[in-house]
Amino acid sequence: MKITIGGIGSVLLGDDGVGPFVAGILDSGYCFGESVTVADLGTPGLDLVAHLSGIDALILIDSVKNDALPGTVTLYRKDDILRHGPAPVRMDPHSPALSESLLIAELAGEGPKDILLIGVTGEQYEVGAELSVAAKQAASQAVDQVLLELDRLGISYWKSRKKPYSAWWSPLAEAHPASDPRPNTLPVLTAV
Amino acid sequence: MSTKITIDPITRIEGHLRIDVEVENYAVSNAWASCTMWRGIETILRGRDPRDAWMFTQRFCGVCTTVHAMASVRAVEDALKLPVPANANYIRNMILIAHALHDHIVHFYQLSALDWVDILQIPKADPAAASKLAETISPWTRNSRNELKAAQDKVKAVAASGQLGIFQNGYWGHPAMRLSPEVNLLAFTHYVQALEYQRKALQVVGMLGGKTPHIQNLVVGGVANAIDLDSQSALGMDKLEQIRVLLAEVAQFIREVYLVDVCAVAAMYPEWFKIGSGVTNYLAVPDLPLDSNAGSYDLPGGVIMQGNIGGVQPFKTASDAIFRESVTEDVTHAYYEGEKPLHPWQGETEPQFTGWDGEKKYSWVKSPRYKGQPMQVGPLAQVLVGYAQGHQLTKKYADLALGQVSAIAKVNATPALMHSTLGRHAARAIRAAMLAELADKHWQLLVDNIAKGDLTVHNQPVFPFGEVEGVGTHEAPRGTLSHWIVIKGGKIKNYQAVVPSTWNASPRDENGAHGPYEASLLHTPLARPEEPLEVLRTIHSFDPCMACACHTFDPSGRQIARVKVL
Repeated sequence: MKITIGGIGSVLLGDDGVGPFVAGILDSGYCFGESVTVADLGTPGLDLVAHLSGIDALILIDSVKNDALPGTVTLYRKDDILRHGPAPVRMDPHSPALSESLLIAELAGEGPKDILLIGVTGEQYEVGAELSVAAKQAASQAVDQVLLELDRLGISYWKSRKKPYSAWWSPLAEAHPASDPRPNTLPVLTAV
Repeated sequence: MSTKITIDPITRIEGHLRIDVEVENYAVSNAWASCTMWRGIETILRGRDPRDAWMFTQRFCGVCTTVHAMASVRAVEDALKLPVPANANYIRNMILIAHALHDHIVHFYQLSALDWVDILQIPKADPAAASKLAETISPWTRNSRNELKAAQDKVKAVAASGQLGIFQNGYWGHPAMRLSPEVNLLAFTHYVQALEYQRKALQVVGMLGGKTPHIQNLVVGGVANAIDLDSQSALGMDKLEQIRVLLAEVAQFIREVYLVDVCAVAAMYPEWFKIGSGVTNYLAVPDLPLDSNAGSYDLPGGVIMQGNIGGVQPFKTASDAIFRESVTEDVTHAYYEGEKPLHPWQGETEPQFTGWDGEKKYSWVKSPRYKGQPMQVGPLAQVLVGYAQGHQLTKKYADLALGQVSAIAKVNATPALMHSTLGRHAARAIRAAMLAELADKHWQLLVDNIAKGDLTVHNQPVFPFGEVEGVGTHEAPRGTLSHWIVIKGGKIKNYQAVVPSTWNASPRDENGAHGPYEASLLHTPLARPEEPLEVLRTIHSFDPCMACACHTFDPSGRQIARVKVL
């Protein structure tokens, strides 16, 4: 059984980064078998279809605009997501990409059978802002929900002893060139 | 008597765009484009390490993710005059090519095809006749009667269920839809096959970039990929061979399906070569650098003014002095404070939201101008600029496409026809065919270089104490992208990005000159103003990707969008 666990959202817009944050927690804190892919999907458009095709189950974590209190975690299944079809027009750039991508994958006969969307109600979406306290607490709950879903699907996982995860994009994080092959936190200056 | 139509938002694009048109006697007499753009990147980047900027800028948008990463590292490299090793250029080039191929395929099939293809005609088609037609225009082996019938059955099942799903709210049966049921069936079959090939292209991006969206392998000064021919986990011949095969499969789809389909559809809607020209000033930057010092490129760049192809002004490098000096952003009709146009290195973004006013301010997008003129960017700009310079690869595929259109439509299709809505679609397919060929070339260049023993992938950046400015450009799938950076004492002091869709979506400037979207809509005939399919056709031909606003999922499916006719 092939499973994809994806965090969706923009890390540059406050609580919209909760999806990638949860993906980071899962990636750094747990080990999964070959059949599970954990992905920070950022802000995809229709390229999302490629990630949905040919898998059996999909677990997504995303910020959600509903009428609940900030920090609430709500679970949505396939029918809830597809209830309204692709928005006849795009209300916002993201949610139709999810509905449309799912519908396109289904049309091609390649969509996942099981879908769970774990929605976190955000408190703020300010440019460059840290995740709110409410969103961080919801992130822990979202992680629990992911693991519960894996239990339901009969997929094993185990905790790993890596360092606790912190969002690399956080304004409070230390500057570090994430992929520089010579890890060195300060830029080299000339004497001019 | 004129009618005013508002389409808000435009469907099947990335991001939020609103179009207003005035219609008189069933033709557009005036137009306004209003949209969002990314604001505040300088807030996030000021004070940060320039070596990190690309990780943030690529998060602007997951659709265009690699392009912002690339422009960002190039901006810092430009500021430092830092050359990039040959291997790093070839690896970057293959990522950019694979990403562009994915993008162009998705744009034609998933985002545009339904403007020209009438899905509800498909149940009437004869799969055998469609197959016969297909096999006369292409050697593609997956146009068999059985394959087409299977696709037709899919549509029948969807239509029978009453749940049109992805096909809801299309303009089915609109008088401007004119393809035969067989051609509609063929196009739809390829729409489904396209999903496989766009996935293969993305796989290449993921293999070289570490992951997609949001690649991880870039560094200022090169790439982080370790090249080791003896290792299975590094970039060795095993992975390179897998990449070669994937790229070859995608290339075949581009040549035998995508390019053929665009020419066929274009030939069947020939009047659309006379609609949608708009701004005929074109801007493209050179790309796909072939050497470390970036003096030679596989994609040419330059400027054409007023459609004068013979008067093309080529660029020698990706950031010629004339380009650096000539770009300004005007905010007269945009929701920002500002008295006069500013150069991006002095750029500011102080919002001044007034609400939509067609006479005053009506868009969140600034008006980029080149020497004060609006410019159209995108594959059309790149193809025309290349064709005008006699660039061999451009001529090869442009002549091939024009020849194909001429044969099917029984007209004489010349480059002059490219100043149009169909010209933009054709140019994108031509560009894709060029890139498909270049993919193989750059793969070979990388392998040959490694075989010589050169495994370098990175040059170390060194930052001065003083202030330096740089601009990183990239000819992205949607056109000319530029990131403008000011660095002081090794930290970012200012950062502005001028994205391709901003050039095209721009509102009027201080002189009242329309941006490309607006200008291209003028004189467009509308068969049914309340079903403005023709407006969608032209806007989609630009492949808009507005910088994304928030990404939250709204489960209530509230329909706040509408086509309003006053």
